[in-house]
Amino acid sequence: MYRSRVATLGVAALVLAACGGNGAEVSQKKTELTLYNDKGAWTKYFDEMGALSKQRIGLGMKPTGYTDSAQYQAFIKASFRTNVKPDLFTWQTGGMLEEIVKQKQVADTTAVWQEAIKAGDLSQDLVPYYTVGGRQYCVPMNVAYWGMFYNKKIFDEHGLKPPQTWDDLVATAETLKRAGVKAFYHTSVLFSFVWFEQLMAGTDPDLYDRLSTGKAKYTDPGVVQVMERWKQLIDAGYFINPGDKTDPGDVLKTGKAAMVTFGTWFNTSMTTRSMKAGADYDFFVIPNVNPALPKTSMIFESGPLCSLTKAADPEAGMKYLKWWTTSEAQDKWATSRGDVSANPKVTIDDKALGTVTKDAGGGKYRLVNRYFEATPPPVLSAALDGFGKFVTEPGTYMEVLESIQKAADEYWSTHQ
Amino acid sequence: MSRPPILGRFGHGYVAPAAVLVAVLLYAPFVWTAYLSLTRYDGLESPVWVGLANFVKLFDDDALLTSTRNTLIWVAGTMALPVGLGLLVAVLSYDLKGGAWYRVPFMLPYALSGAGLAMVWSPVLSHDGIANLLLGVDTAFLQEAPANTLAMLAVWTWQQLGVNTLLFVVGLQSIPREPIEAARLDGASGWRLFRHVTWPLMRPLTAVVVGLALVSSLKTFDIVWVLTQGGPGRNSETLAVTMYKETFVASDYGYGSAVAVLLTVVTGLASYLYLRRQVTAT
Repeated sequence: MYRSRVATLGVAALVLAACGGNGAEVSQKKTELTLYNDKGAWTKYFDEMGALSKQRIGLGMKPTGYTDSAQYQAFIKASFRTNVKPDLFTWQTGGMLEEIVKQKQVADTTAVWQEAIKAGDLSQDLVPYYTVGGRQYCVPMNVAYWGMFYNKKIFDEHGLKPPQTWDDLVATAETLKRAGVKAFYHTSVLFSFVWFEQLMAGTDPDLYDRLSTGKAKYTDPGVVQVMERWKQLIDAGYFINPGDKTDPGDVLKTGKAAMVTFGTWFNTSMTTRSMKAGADYDFFVIPNVNPALPKTSMIFESGPLCSLTKAADPEAGMKYLKWWTTSEAQDKWATSRGDVSANPKVTIDDKALGTVTKDAGGGKYRLVNRYFEATPPPVLSAALDGFGKFVTEPGTYMEVLESIQKAADEYWSTHQ
Repeated sequence: MSRPPILGRFGHGYVAPAAVLVAVLLYAPFVWTAYLSLTRYDGLESPVWVGLANFVKLFDDDALLTSTRNTLIWVAGTMALPVGLGLLVAVLSYDLKGGAWYRVPFMLPYALSGAGLAMVWSPVLSHDGIANLLLGVDTAFLQEAPANTLAMLAVWTWQQLGVNTLLFVVGLQSIPREPIEAARLDGASGWRLFRHVTWPLMRPLTAVVVGLALVSSLKTFDIVWVLTQGGPGRNSETLAVTMYKETFVASDYGYGSAVAVLLTVVTGLASYLYLRRQVTAT
């Protein structure tokens, strides 16, 4: 009996040892890092960056791209509790960044930021998005300004110009509708929040900020009015069917909708479809709904690239992040994707996006944090579902706002 | 009866590797999930004990009511369509000359995985999709409830019909010929022969087919996740999709675990009650 128990314990110990690793953090020198990300479609561009970094700093990088962001986040969160740590990983700013920084494993990048700002490689404006408790964490993997991409041929065909005011935008949509063209793209899945944030930011950006921090309610009159305005636009027939699963890049290329609102990263979709900026498509800043606002509100997002203090080679991770911010790296990263860069020294060929980046850096716009980053995950989840329901059944807007508020009440009751 | 001495001495050691694997991979996650269902947990901070609060919330959650309704539609629909039609195709084609060739087309879609199946049907059922083009209509197959669940059930039937047909054919082949011949000599044929002789003899296999279909319909996930992600507005969610969304999308691991426990209890109870009835009947 004793022997059999010893045998059982022995096997159990071996299995557990195999599952748990050695339990100690053994630092090792790495010549190639793995970059985990939820941007599976960008693998080609990450690969190009890996080849360049190998050549320039002797440190290669291989991407592991997820396409399901929920699955990706669960994997990264799990890594905080195990010895399997990613060398580098992409994440989100806002509450999501605060959440992981609290675990005291995300590498502090304050020194990298200070050096990069001094060298002109990063802008001071970005600091708040990466600051938790007075220190900086991660570096910008990308930045994006949100506006309207439009099919230039359709605009030219109907004698339309980029609108200067909200009324101009609605008049443009009306002209297109009369010509049998759907003006706007929207969807019931994932990006269902886009028009909500745009209308909120262009109507009352302060209310939008208060909503993000639980200081206002989704059932407040200002939010209800925004939903009613959104409903009017849908009822007027300006949008394509929200259940249309055509890729938005194809929607714009084929003219299924004349305008698609997304971040500047949508330029990559145009590039991969061989569309030429200024000839096939172009970009304009969406005017405020409320003309009395002092600055045009512009949705802004920045995705962090992070490393962990307990990764296999934390020094190599920090070295890579430092290189990532340089104009040499950012020039390649921005040019290959046709997108803007977090590095102010980097200029891109696309004239419209170049102007927007320059103007945004010069303080022309009121930058508003994208809804995806600004909203806590449980509220965001309820909101994405709610807006998905709303675009399909616009008459349900009050029911939708109440359901989001219910999730918000629950979240803020334990997170103030 | 005494055990052979060799097993008595080393038996536990032989069983240990498998027992440890089962304990680590099956029992431990189950116990951990059950524990998490009694906590508030975001996947990062340590779980905070909240007692039965997550289970109380289950009864006040409209989304859960919708996903329970949809799951019941999946269960009822699976019994009526892939299983019911599978039986019909098996019985009608069984005695036909070259019947196997009639069954082959039903078998082919079974080669697809659940996610692959949904990917194939997505462009068919979406707005401006192939179905609307072919039918010359403008129907939102995947938008309105419960029509979207029924549309996905039709896709599920397209895939599952073949394997159920095959299983029923195996059941028909395993029936001894004597009772059938005797019934025929007594003048039984057609529906009466099936109802009173063939069907009762197929009962053991039917119990397996229905039992498997019951469990697979209760845990429907992949096809819904790929085609609609449970939307729009959660109106096509099943319990399994709700479990996933609450846990991994909303990062509410405690509540997601409570849904998982509920789903486990419902599946276990339904399987137990059904199989007990079948075993008693046979």
